[in-house]
Amino acid sequence: MLRESSQRSGTLDSLNLQGTVNPDTDSGVAHGSLLTAFAEAAVRQTDALPGLRKRIATELGPQELVDAAGIVANFQRMVRIADGCGIPLDDFTREATDDCREELGIHEYASAANTA
Amino acid sequence: MAFEYDGVDLPIREKTISSQRMSWDVIAAPGRWWTGAERVEIARIGRAARDFEAVGSEILPEAAVYAVQKLVVDNANLNREWYNQIIAMPGMTEDRYVELVAVVVHALSIDEFHRALGLALEPLPEPSSGEPSRQRPAEAEQRYSWPPIVPKGGLNPGDQTLYGPMEWGANVISALSLIPENVRWLHDLSEGHYLSFAEMRQPDPLRAISRSQIELIAARVSALNECFY
Repeated sequence: MLRESSQRSGTLDSLNLQGTVNPDTDSGVAHGSLLTAFAEAAVRQTDALPGLRKRIATELGPQELVDAAGIVANFQRMVRIADGCGIPLDDFTREATDDCREELGIHEYASAANTA
Repeated sequence: MAFEYDGVDLPIREKTISSQRMSWDVIAAPGRWWTGAERVEIARIGRAARDFEAVGSEILPEAAVYAVQKLVVDNANLNREWYNQIIAMPGMTEDRYVELVAVVVHALSIDEFHRALGLALEPLPEPSSGEPSRQRPAEAEQRYSWPPIVPKGGLNPGDQTLYGPMEWGANVISALSLIPENVRWLHDLSEGHYLSFAEMRQPDPLRAISRSQIELIAARVSALNECFY
């Protein structure tokens, strides 16, 4: 989805998917480091969360902060549906992402067995 | 009324609020296999688990409590063997498991929204009275995921479009369909927190952050959870 959205917005050339698995890597998405740091602090409930909230509200805006929180909330749900039901990858997703999954090390996740 | 967001100086979207209220109503009502009181209890156990509190329950089977806790704090290590063990334990079936997962993940999602914004958690709803309907869709079929799912024809009236052109829906959308109401629930809270299924196919602008920013956050959350899907 990230690759597809970057393609649509004409920013695919600057996209670095390593930014999704490595917090020290610039994803190439505008304010990406701030947003992924926020996501990580929210998922892990770290002490960095209040400061990151403030930065997003100040640098991007309060609606951006609320929307970012919604995305975190949604995917905390979706990953558990996937993990809890052992769903395999859809064929169209597998075909579109097989190359980058290898590159990002996603095949190493325990849940990869559900698609084996 | 729940989710008033009194004193909150943030622009919470109306759709977010309405979908969260709907979720609380759904959790409080009897389902197909659990009573309203049991469903609220499932949400309570899940909420405590997120804070690493392993609380017990006087009304849920032990296996249900364990399953809730595992789903919340150790979801990356679930596997088919574990699932088979859980549904074979006293008080559990695959139908009850699917309903439990739906309650856990939707309640968790709403709590996570609050936690991410530094807001107090909404008090859990008061359970409604009544008995579960105990109805399994006749169309349910074992496919690729662990629990059976239902095809488009087994969904509730008006919900068939939620599968798009696919007879069995995308895997994550049909995953909880053994309880057909879950497909609508999944959609409505998606729209409240992320995007509706229709919006997922539309170009920017959809929200205050761009679609690339949305999907970057989504991918990071998935990676942090070591979710292959």
